[in-house]
Amino acid sequence: MQQELEQWKEQVFHLWNVAIDYLRQVPLNQLHAFTIVLITTLLLYILRAWKRTKSNTIVLTGLSGSGKTVLFYQLRDGSTHQGTVTSMEPNEDTFILNGEKTKGKIKPVRIVDVPGHSRLRPKLDEYLPQAAGVVFVVDALDFLPNCRAASEYLYDLLTKGSVVRKKIPLLILCNKTDKVTAHTKEFIRRQLEKEIDKLRSSRSAVSEADVTNEFSLGVSGEPFSFTQCSNKVTTADASGLTGEISQLEEFIREYVKP
Amino acid sequence: MLEQLLIFTRGGLILWSCKELSNALKGSPIDTLIRSCLLEERSGAASYNYDAPGAAYSLKWTFHNDLGLVFVAVYQRILHLLYVDDLLAAVKREFSQVYDPTRTVYRDFDEIFKQLKIEAEARAEDLKKSNPVVVNGQRKQIGSKGDGSEGKKGRAGGGGGAGLKNDGDGKKGDNKSENNRFVANNNNGSNLKSNGGNNVSVNGKENDSVNNGAFDVNRLQKKVRNKGGNGKKTDNVVSKAEPKKVIKKNRVWDEKPPETKLDFTDHVDVDGDADKDRKVDFFAKEQGESMMDKDEILSSDSEDEEEDDDDDDSGKNSKPDAKKKGWFSSMFQSIAGKANLEKSDLEPALKALKDRLMTKNVAEEIAEKLCESVAASLEGKKLASFTRISSTVQTAMEEALVRILTPRRSIDILRDVHAAKEQRKPYVVVFVGVNGVGKSTNLAKVAYWLLEHDVKVMMAACDTFRSGAVEQLRTHARRLEIPIFEKGYEKDPAVVAKEAIQEASRNGSDVVLVDTAGRMQDNEPLMRALSKLIYLNNPDLVLFVGEALVGNDAVDQLSKFNQKLADLSTSPTPRLIDGILLTKFDTIDDKVGAALSMVYISGAPVMFVGCGQSYTDLKKLNVKSIVKTLLK
Repeated sequence: MQQELEQWKEQVFHLWNVAIDYLRQVPLNQLHAFTIVLITTLLLYILRAWKRTKSNTIVLTGLSGSGKTVLFYQLRDGSTHQGTVTSMEPNEDTFILNGEKTKGKIKPVRIVDVPGHSRLRPKLDEYLPQAAGVVFVVDALDFLPNCRAASEYLYDLLTKGSVVRKKIPLLILCNKTDKVTAHTKEFIRRQLEKEIDKLRSSRSAVSEADVTNEFSLGVSGEPFSFTQCSNKVTTADASGLTGEISQLEEFIREYVKP
Repeated sequence: MLEQLLIFTRGGLILWSCKELSNALKGSPIDTLIRSCLLEERSGAASYNYDAPGAAYSLKWTFHNDLGLVFVAVYQRILHLLYVDDLLAAVKREFSQVYDPTRTVYRDFDEIFKQLKIEAEARAEDLKKSNPVVVNGQRKQIGSKGDGSEGKKGRAGGGGGAGLKNDGDGKKGDNKSENNRFVANNNNGSNLKSNGGNNVSVNGKENDSVNNGAFDVNRLQKKVRNKGGNGKKTDNVVSKAEPKKVIKKNRVWDEKPPETKLDFTDHVDVDGDADKDRKVDFFAKEQGESMMDKDEILSSDSEDEEEDDDDDDSGKNSKPDAKKKGWFSSMFQSIAGKANLEKSDLEPALKALKDRLMTKNVAEEIAEKLCESVAASLEGKKLASFTRISSTVQTAMEEALVRILTPRRSIDILRDVHAAKEQRKPYVVVFVGVNGVGKSTNLAKVAYWLLEHDVKVMMAACDTFRSGAVEQLRTHARRLEIPIFEKGYEKDPAVVAKEAIQEASRNGSDVVLVDTAGRMQDNEPLMRALSKLIYLNNPDLVLFVGEALVGNDAVDQLSKFNQKLADLSTSPTPRLIDGILLTKFDTIDDKVGAALSMVYISGAPVMFVGCGQSYTDLKKLNVKSIVKTLLK
């Protein structure tokens, strides 16, 4: 055994000497150049791996008919063109927000508008892992009839593993506030909290067909409030049709640094 | 005339709409089309009918799958415009040349469209002139006779020109009840028949298959909405001329009636029986957790190996003579990935898929329609590089299946129960179905599951026909220790149910589970009785219990049940089937197709799956595993 080790050691030494001789032969400049190239590539690699944790994607989601596609085009082009219909596929694009086009060189934002139709819900799971922030669009005009469906969707969103683990910030955007009969964001927030509270008790032991509520929300015994979520939940107003999207743009810029 | 023609992206942005035809559309036909037809995988159908108060539209569409565009044309239903298909195809061609993903305004297309419209109309006129038998000049008549949706008289007036020759065509469309009805009660006999004939020939074969056996719930719901006005508008009703008048007689085995009374059942609970049974009873609570609350763990390792085998199999199914050339060009294309998919390319793969679905017990016409829908969504698409046609078709079919099986609305029953509890009303569930599917057994399973979640359950024995049905429920109630409301046999089930619900609100039960007798979907008097029960009691959930062993009959059962519930109801908004309970799931190994057929034909989600005969054997439908099994 020892003999083998010794032999092996000698071989290594020999190779080492050969390598050093070879290196000595190489002109110094080349050597320098080579090491510099090596170090820069390593540094770039590390930087990219570091940067990758900061995504630039914002996901727009919400019930069907809440105005996500309109908001998407407002953010991108500043106008809703000729109107929209129910989306059958997600809209995604990377662009500089329309309100900031004059500011010069800013990093573009990637926005994904996921269809709200219940049959297309699984598409949301494809985009959530890469999201830096989620915007949940609520129709402030037609809120009460859809309150239950909206709160169920929101509950599912807040209990998804990817959202909880990465603490993805959520903005509840009350859309269509240009109309007179639209509800206020405080009202909507309170209603959603109440509904989610009720959902918590009925969903505590039951899991849905495929999507499991992996985490439970809030503190048991206390009525639910959005402040109890591990990720930050805020509310804002907007109006897709008239272009009043300043609060939305602020949210986006808060989480996707220019 | 055409009401509107829209071009929009699959993501939802409207790219172009015709400015000349700027009549505002009543209601929201496009959104309804997307939600009820295109997203329901019925995009293989030829047209879609939409009814709004004050208007009856027909919509036709076409896709450009490569660019992700949808072209929709809307026109009044009473006008059978012939040039719409033609026009849509021409518009598709022209627009795809002009289309640019970064542009959102296409005003220059107006001119092109005007041109195309004139050409298409001209072509249609020519076709009309050269073929006076088949085609009829309806447009001339519309101005004089038609008035909105009351097309009955209008149709009577139209078709004056063609005369007797069209009788032959009229006979061809005998699956359209409209023909029969008009024949039965009109005064211009031949004219109507000619109209019916035109219906058949103009809209083509696909429309027949759409309106034939397979039942479109949405059309039914619309029809139901317009019941007050003109219920005969939509033409998808079965072609029976008169209802069956069959009265069920008591079965007499011998010539003479039985002398001794052998049926000792009486609804008074004899104490002696109870004592005897209690000793042998074991209470159901110790049986453990219902499988509803357990998650299914999918095994994902076997997935990849299976897929390779499937690709080989579908490859073998293609025609043998074109095999060599097909293989080489398909290999080349799969690497280069530039081929535009044509219908002929998709056919072999689709046929293989359809056969595979049918071996998995999916009803034949459902498999057919699904394949058509997938073909419609893939035609014209560019193949990505390094993918074969079969794998593209497979992925598209998988997506379509997941879409269909994903419930459209929430199936959280506990949530609904809590909501009803707050309003201090009992939550009523009615179990309906044909004979022998497992209604009573699964009712007990659902009661067991609800009990586990601290819900107060009560059973109502409204199966007053089958011998032993009330005793069966009584036994379940005793084992589960829940109250049961029963009135014995030979009583009106609707009245029993009503009283049961009143009793439930009195004794504070949260849920009432109503068991009904099994009945065949063709049996008119029984279906009428069921409709009466539902109308009288207005349950919160009408659960159709179907067995997973059923094959093509599932389509017939569900469609007829829905139809009868709608037709025979006396209320303006009849209740249809809200959910499906699939039973005997453990008896089928991997032939899970019945679930797909039922969900597709009725649009109702599968709320429970019964997978055994004891109390804990109740699961939720796992969409991903079903899809995997279907496509294996």
